[in-house]
Amino acid sequence: MSKMLVVLKREYLQVVKSKSFLIGIILAPLFMVAVVILPMWLAGAKSSTGEKVSIIDQSGAGIGRKFIEAISEYKLEGSDKPYYILKDLIEIEPGDDVSFNFFKDSLRTQIVDQQLKYFLVIRPEAHLLDSNIYLVTNSDNFVSLNRFERKISNVLSTMRLNASDVNISIDSVLNITRRIDLVVQDAKGEAIPFQIKYFSAIIFAGIIMGMILSYGQLVMRSVIEEKNSRIMEVLVSSVSPFQLMLGKVLGLGAATFTQIAVWVAMGSLLYSQKTTLDISPSIDRILFNPVIVVFFGLFLISGYILFSTLFALIGSMVNTEKEAQGYVMPISLVLIAPFIVGISIVQDPNSTLAIVLSMIPIMAPTMMMMRLVFIVPTLSEYSLTSGIIGEAILSLTIVVVTIVFTVWLTAKIFRVGILMYGKRPTLPEIIRWVKH
Amino acid sequence: MFLSLKNVRKEFDGKVAVDDLCLEIPRGIIYGIIGPNGAGKTTTIRMIMDITAPDSGSIMFEGQPRRPDFKNHVGYLPEERGLYKKMTLHEIIIYLSELKGMSPAKTRPQIDPWLERVGLADYGQKKVEELSKGMQQKLQFVTTIIHDPDLIVLDELFSGLDPLNMELIKDIILDLKRAGKTVLFSTHVMEQAEKLCDNICMISNGKKVLDGRLADVRAQFGKNSVQLEIDGDGHFIRSLPGVGDVSEFSNYLELQLLDNADSNALLIAIAQKVTVRRFDIVEPSLYDIFIDMAKIDPSELDKPGGERHV
Repeated sequence: MSKMLVVLKREYLQVVKSKSFLIGIILAPLFMVAVVILPMWLAGAKSSTGEKVSIIDQSGAGIGRKFIEAISEYKLEGSDKPYYILKDLIEIEPGDDVSFNFFKDSLRTQIVDQQLKYFLVIRPEAHLLDSNIYLVTNSDNFVSLNRFERKISNVLSTMRLNASDVNISIDSVLNITRRIDLVVQDAKGEAIPFQIKYFSAIIFAGIIMGMILSYGQLVMRSVIEEKNSRIMEVLVSSVSPFQLMLGKVLGLGAATFTQIAVWVAMGSLLYSQKTTLDISPSIDRILFNPVIVVFFGLFLISGYILFSTLFALIGSMVNTEKEAQGYVMPISLVLIAPFIVGISIVQDPNSTLAIVLSMIPIMAPTMMMMRLVFIVPTLSEYSLTSGIIGEAILSLTIVVVTIVFTVWLTAKIFRVGILMYGKRPTLPEIIRWVKH
Repeated sequence: MFLSLKNVRKEFDGKVAVDDLCLEIPRGIIYGIIGPNGAGKTTTIRMIMDITAPDSGSIMFEGQPRRPDFKNHVGYLPEERGLYKKMTLHEIIIYLSELKGMSPAKTRPQIDPWLERVGLADYGQKKVEELSKGMQQKLQFVTTIIHDPDLIVLDELFSGLDPLNMELIKDIILDLKRAGKTVLFSTHVMEQAEKLCDNICMISNGKKVLDGRLADVRAQFGKNSVQLEIDGDGHFIRSLPGVGDVSEFSNYLELQLLDNADSNALLIAIAQKVTVRRFDIVEPSLYDIFIDMAKIDPSELDKPGGERHV
């Protein structure tokens, strides 16, 4: 036992003291912030300055003015100042196409030069023909586009109602016919946007996959290095092959957890600033959900041990890393599989396919994690034997049972394989070692 | 008995590597296991080290089955050896001694004296990869004995060592013996065994051919061997009375004499047909004894004088 700890300590320090470890700790979260958090944050962020709008109104009916009045109700966040700033309102006679073309070209240039965000074109007879109104912009700020659409519709509806002989107040018509924006909620009455779930699922499953692949392969490389440098036989004259294998797996596992612990610490720091950072409650509910975090830890540990044992097994059977690649490839594919079939999982995380895949031991850690994020559980709402938490526990149990088997198998092959130099064992040979 | 093997047997894929081997190794001696490549020396040593388990038979250390801490009392230098290239000498010595159950605090004061003894005093903080091959061999030897083991097992110790280092390590081995340690080593070069060992065991094809004190083995074979140099065809000699086995080289022969042989009569008989340049009655070398006992093809062994060692 104590010798296993000596091996563990060396393997751990070997990694933690390396520069690449430090770089990984700092760079990975930065990368994640850049790729995932930043766009989400930007999308939800409020602009602090307004957007400039110009209008060319050729309708002769004052549609432009009414539109400006309508959008003036939007204010900058936490201020009385209007969100939309009118740059120019250009009213042209319906027949004056020379002026129209001149102003249109000049406004287009302003858009290109970014002096102007939008300009609305209202051609003659606009209240009759929808295609006679259009918006020119390089922006795809769907919030603004939505507002414009709504307000111009209101203005035109009012005009059309006025022109008709319907004997009813215009306001009540607008009220009756107003467009509804559906607010999407989940079964628990809370709304987590799909994108946030999807990104979170990718983050959790991605960390598990990345950690297993990188640190699992470190275990393999370490075994191959010891075979190649011929120190292996010296080592097994002091420790048993099993102690050696366990020391490696756990030592590098400890390094994995150091890395994650640092990230969690960074995340907690971020979390403590959540009011100033304006983290949306949806992200809060997934990333900082204790149930998800606990299962993340459990699946990471069990997944890592399962795969690093397999990587140790590969390392003991081969002589060079090149030889090992042939075995590593299928393992990597299995780990990446959830991201490939992922889209069908996220569309229906309770489908039979999703449930079955999340019970297959080598896929369970990533697959179950994705489902957990999509069915965001809370402790109080699910029993430990049914529902998503019950399934997660079952899946975890399957993984643990598989670990017991792979550790047993690896120990058998490892003790013979590490002393085989030069020649790769054949399958019948391996079977004989296991039986022995 | 310090270390004993009883009826030990090991098969690999249906091929018998070690067959019904019995060894008795007393405390405080240098014991040599000799035999050609592939005879089963390394397999025997790996079983002694508990790296591989015998299929049957037992191995006893100090009269008892080996305890879990057995490995802590043994220093082992395998034939296939190496070190972590990126560690410093101090780091690797401490690590390997820690694996033998020694605390770093106990190891640390012994590192520099040992490094000094093998001429690596200035390299303590250097990385292993900065050492020459010969230096790495000496460092490896230090890591084998730094934890003061009672039994030191050296598999093909001298392979790849240059003559100067060989002398240095031979001296350390003799010191260890004086300090009461038991040294077990294997070699396929008989001359090394002849010069270092108190006891030997010869194995061939996994079977023990003979063993015992070197002096006894020699005495058992008596002074019944003749080294002969002649001019001419000596083929007729093997049919002369009193002559046993003959190893024949071009102008040089080694004759085993039968117990009742008359060496004078033999010399006269030879001198009548060819010119005798040398006629020496000598003790048989281990090489001859081995060839005689194992009935093997001499080409499987390194010939005497083929390699100059120690």
